[in-house]
Amino acid sequence: MTPLNDDQLKKVERALTEAHRSRHTPSLGADWSFRVLRDIRREAAGHGPSRVALGLDRLAWRTAAVAAILALIFTGSVWLNTNRDTVELAALLSNELDATVPLTE
Amino acid sequence: MTTRHLFTGAVVWSRPWMSYDAMARHLAVGCAGFIGVQTLVSDDREIIQRVLQGEIDRYAELITRYQQHVAKIANRHVPSDRVAEVAHDVFVRAYSSLSSFSGRTPFEHWLSGIAVRTCYDFWRARRREELPVSSLATEHQAWMDHVLAAESDDQFREQARRQEAAELLQWALGHLSAENRLVLTLVHLDGYSVREAADLLGWTVVNVKVRAHRARQMLRALLLERKRQDDDTTQR
Repeated sequence: MTPLNDDQLKKVERALTEAHRSRHTPSLGADWSFRVLRDIRREAAGHGPSRVALGLDRLAWRTAAVAAILALIFTGSVWLNTNRDTVELAALLSNELDATVPLTE
Repeated sequence: MTTRHLFTGAVVWSRPWMSYDAMARHLAVGCAGFIGVQTLVSDDREIIQRVLQGEIDRYAELITRYQQHVAKIANRHVPSDRVAEVAHDVFVRAYSSLSSFSGRTPFEHWLSGIAVRTCYDFWRARRREELPVSSLATEHQAWMDHVLAAESDDQFREQARRQEAAELLQWALGHLSAENRLVLTLVHLDGYSVREAADLLGWTVVNVKVRAHRARQMLRALLLERKRQDDDTTQR
């Protein structure tokens, strides 16, 4: 038993490449074109390529950065306001606690 | 524009396997662009504009013009009896995304990318079906021996044209993943450059380079293993 050496392997690869390139391309025929067009008309009647839809898609991507910045600002403001509310609530509660201290002293 | 068309002409001669009709089309595009008359490429753009404006029947002109080109690409990647089905999908897909065609590259090139990616999807779907890989007969073993023994170019070409060669190649490709199969076919069998293959697949150059190398190593390992098994069988 003799394993293939590098030159032999290259020779087999070359033959396989030649075999690949000499493949006969089948012709598709008129019926085939008719079927493709029929499906495309069906597609167009249903959900064909719409310029409006494409325009909306592009608009969405172009405004994505602005939308992301706005979202960050909104998140930041919510977070700040929540913190401020917590401080105010704590202050209010502490006032209330102070207020509940008996006046008898 | 003129430079691009002159370049198109140069590309033709670097691809000896390109069909005569494709060569003629490329040269026509190059020459027409050079002398400043309306080119086939701009003709494509005009048809695309019309199709997008609702004249769907004009798409038939694009189908007629490029069906053989698409069939040729599909034939290099999928079994012959599935070429019509894949080419059908290619034109339907191309129509669906026609509005995204920018016109920066020729329509033929854009369509080639869709064709290659449709072939890729074909094999991905087949992989999920877990189809059994057909085994090889003794004729394939003999074919490898005949190729190695071929001394003249004629003998070699005669062996390469035999059915066993195509079957052995399909057997080996059947063992590869959809990605490796496609890259190996484009780069090593069709002879596309790594950059061209990356453009067609929409992958990075590095990814294609790594996969092409890996896929070739796998093919070689498969052939070596096949030969070893055949030799073992013969000795028994």
